[in-house]
Amino acid sequence: MPPERRAWEPDLLKCRSHSWTRFYGPDKTMRIRKLNIWGWVWVTAGVLYFFVPLIATFEFSLRAKKGTLSLLAYQRVLEDPQFWRTFGFSVSMGVVTILASLILIAPTAYWIRLRLPRLRPVVEFITLMPFVVPAIVLVFGLIRLYSGKPFALTNTVVGTDMLLVAGYMVLALPYMYRAVDTGLAAIDVRTLTEAAQSLGAGWGTILFRVVFPNLRAALLSGAFLTFAMVIGEFTIASFLVGMNAFGPYMSQVGQNKAYESSSLAIISFALTWALMGLIQFFNRGAPEQGQMGGAR
Amino acid sequence: MSSSSSTLLASGARRPKPATRFSWAWLGVVPFFAFATLFLFLPSFVLFVGSFQDAKGNFTLANIAGLFTPSILSAYWITIRISAVTAVAGGLFGFFLAYAGVMSGLPRWVRTSMLTFAGVASNFAGVPLAFAFIATLGRLGLVTVLLRDVFHINIYQGGFNLYGFLGLSLTYMYFQFPLMVLIITPALEGLRRDWREAAENLGATQWQYWRYVALPILLPSLLGTMILLFGNAFGAYATALALTGGMINLVTILIGSQIKGDVLHNVGLGYALALGMVVVMAVSMAGYYVLRRRSERWMRN
Amino acid sequence: MSRATRQTPLLVVLIVALSLLVGCVAPSAPAPAAPAATQPPAPAATEPPAPAPDPMADLIKAAKAEGTLTTIALPHDWCNYGEAIEGFKAKYGIQVNELNPDGGSGDEIEAIKANKDNKGPQAPDVIDVGYGFGPQLVEEKLVQPYKVATWDSIPADSKDVDGNWFGDYYGVLAFEVNKDAVKNVPQVWADLLKPEYKGQVALSGDPRASAQAQMSVYAAALANGGSLDNVTPGLDFFKKLNEAGNFVPVIAKQATVAKGETPVIMRWDYNALADKASLAGNPEIEVVIPKDAALAGVYIQGISAYAPHPNAAKLWMEYLYSDEGQIIWLKGGCHPIRYNDLAKRGVIPADVAAKLPPAELYAKAVFPTIDQINNAKQVINDNWDKVVGANVK
Repeated sequence: MPPERRAWEPDLLKCRSHSWTRFYGPDKTMRIRKLNIWGWVWVTAGVLYFFVPLIATFEFSLRAKKGTLSLLAYQRVLEDPQFWRTFGFSVSMGVVTILASLILIAPTAYWIRLRLPRLRPVVEFITLMPFVVPAIVLVFGLIRLYSGKPFALTNTVVGTDMLLVAGYMVLALPYMYRAVDTGLAAIDVRTLTEAAQSLGAGWGTILFRVVFPNLRAALLSGAFLTFAMVIGEFTIASFLVGMNAFGPYMSQVGQNKAYESSSLAIISFALTWALMGLIQFFNRGAPEQGQMGGAR
Repeated sequence: MSSSSSTLLASGARRPKPATRFSWAWLGVVPFFAFATLFLFLPSFVLFVGSFQDAKGNFTLANIAGLFTPSILSAYWITIRISAVTAVAGGLFGFFLAYAGVMSGLPRWVRTSMLTFAGVASNFAGVPLAFAFIATLGRLGLVTVLLRDVFHINIYQGGFNLYGFLGLSLTYMYFQFPLMVLIITPALEGLRRDWREAAENLGATQWQYWRYVALPILLPSLLGTMILLFGNAFGAYATALALTGGMINLVTILIGSQIKGDVLHNVGLGYALALGMVVVMAVSMAGYYVLRRRSERWMRN
Repeated sequence: MSRATRQTPLLVVLIVALSLLVGCVAPSAPAPAAPAATQPPAPAATEPPAPAPDPMADLIKAAKAEGTLTTIALPHDWCNYGEAIEGFKAKYGIQVNELNPDGGSGDEIEAIKANKDNKGPQAPDVIDVGYGFGPQLVEEKLVQPYKVATWDSIPADSKDVDGNWFGDYYGVLAFEVNKDAVKNVPQVWADLLKPEYKGQVALSGDPRASAQAQMSVYAAALANGGSLDNVTPGLDFFKKLNEAGNFVPVIAKQATVAKGETPVIMRWDYNALADKASLAGNPEIEVVIPKDAALAGVYIQGISAYAPHPNAAKLWMEYLYSDEGQIIWLKGGCHPIRYNDLAKRGVIPADVAAKLPPAELYAKAVFPTIDQINNAKQVINDNWDKVVGANVK
């Protein structure tokens, strides 16, 4: 097995076995170009599809001052202290939700695959339930159950935030579970576990030093999905913490101010993208997926 | 469960499972089930109970009976249709996009930015998304005007309508593609190089590689992600409401108007509608599960 | 282990600690929104009257002891609630917790029901719902009775005789027109059918979920041969509008009007006036009260029976129904329920009155009763998608 190395280190072996050289046909150059062209075509089409609506929104947000293009709408949003406060709050809630979801779901998905495959349809069905339970039913149910006597969660800030995170975790359940499960499908869980066990590893080591590092990309995908969801989530936040969260704030701006709502959409998009880039940054240096497991 | 032991024992003799092993295994999923019970089932229990109650709290089957009116049934049908269409199309094109970004030899920054962007775009929904598409493809949208003034193509005269099924599907894709890309990329990267090389060495063409090696490996994950996309579209509410104003009857919009609205407020019917959604989801899952078992058959020894 | 994986747990712990710090320190739940996302309250044209009578002093003390008020579904630009909230906070030093600014009446009622046992800041103290919900509030015991000091000047048909709910303001259904996008501003309902408005007319909600949209259909009925008891001509009107291609099935918001995508929409006059003020000429908005039908819609206030802060709630009501509070609503373009009383006593500032559409148009406004509204609701709900619904293929 080739020695582990950083992604940025040049690897002569890699150059030889990298995918594009595999496609040398009788006419070596033609095959490369063909492959890369299709790649670029799809990516370009994707970029167009995703960026044109954003550009249209951006173009509208520049019209806050009549007759000229100006950044007035952006200025107004960025100067609003409530924007920073609610965004910061939702970011922190997002991070907590990601961690709590990972801790709950990743080991569960792993365990189900390894030991309880017959439970998989049950668990998958459960993870799809948050799609069909309306968020408003969920939040009122949470309030009814946990605001009264034995728990009284809503009487303290920390308690309410905990309830909020629990609600977010439920909403993130489908995405996180599917991301982890797909990642697990791509590595050979059984062999990895047995190999680690035969080397004397305990469950902690197996989970955190063998399985999860192989799932890095999948865990990251799940984290991204959860984070974006928490930032934009409206219903649960609006009934639990009101105007302290970013979702209700965005909704209020959207009702009253046309240009600011567009600039807010662009700003929150850009900020969330930057934060995800930051999360991704912590992930760099990980070995490429699939190099550590045995054949499936 | 005993197959794991058979890989360790060369003779293939089956080791009797000690009883303690079995109870350990179930312990492992207790946190998940506890969480699901406490924070998903119990709070939404009211869905089940409330479907059978009228406004005064008495038991009634009227809500369930009310589900079988033509307008509500057609609402279910159209919601299923749009979810299925965006799941399959979103799944396919998302898969191609993921493949292009990850495996076709493009520079690494393409992959990274694609994934982070997909993360944000997967949740860009609701009023901002609806407005973005109105600003792009509405009657005075950027692209509409561009096509009309520069290329002299009037898409609205040609029958296109952003506020119809096609327009709504197109808008849904905005969060369906990224979802597929994010989830399938780790699976794509799990396709080991050696398999491709081995296939090549055996003389397989690209098509044969895909047909006999890569797709069978990926199919369970593809199906799993498509059911996720289906659920995602099935439960979507804010985007459809903002874009079509309730003109396209989706079940989620009906539920919203019963539970939240200013006007109707027959909460029991709203709960019954949601219960119907659970049933539809269960049926879809059953179908998905059948397909998935078939696709995984080759993997069982 | 690579350097990155060794450092990761540390980084993770750091992030968790930071976020918990921010999340717990960031004022949430009990300590609500920091002041001034909205503009500071403009000085009232009429100064608040001299010290209130004794029962008020006791109420103020009790309310201040409670320290906070929880409201729900009050957008800041709806009837100038933004200024009302800021004014209340400034005058009495009581914090205001705002829940769900986007909510409808159904949300508010469900919130009361869900928070019956909850004394935390998720339980709404006061609600502002549609007129038709009055009987339900009483029947399901969701509100507690209270009669404000100015109770007698509230018209009899706009309040519950026992004080369970009381009308707060009314408006008349109007057209909001983007003058930069439309050459001729429609003046009557019949104008909307003209071919020049092709693809330009929209509702601001789903008539099965939004009172504003439902009343638009109701008003169209009045203008087309219907009556307060017969809303079917309104459905027919929208059917014609849809068939002519003038109707755009999108939910219109300020942004879509400003963009020109839905330059002609139907909504309450006060919302249209608020949009006009907010857009400040970019683009130019005209608010038209159609000459052939002026349908008025009342909203009602109530104090939740399970309110965690009943005294703050009562003080809020006193504030809203005082002359000062009523004029704040008037500034938002709403007609406060005590409008006739205020006008008779001549306390309406001239500049505020000047911004409203002419009073004669309001003189012709018709007010449907609760029964008429509920009947219309039923008819619209049963027939909307049959008559108007896009046949989606």
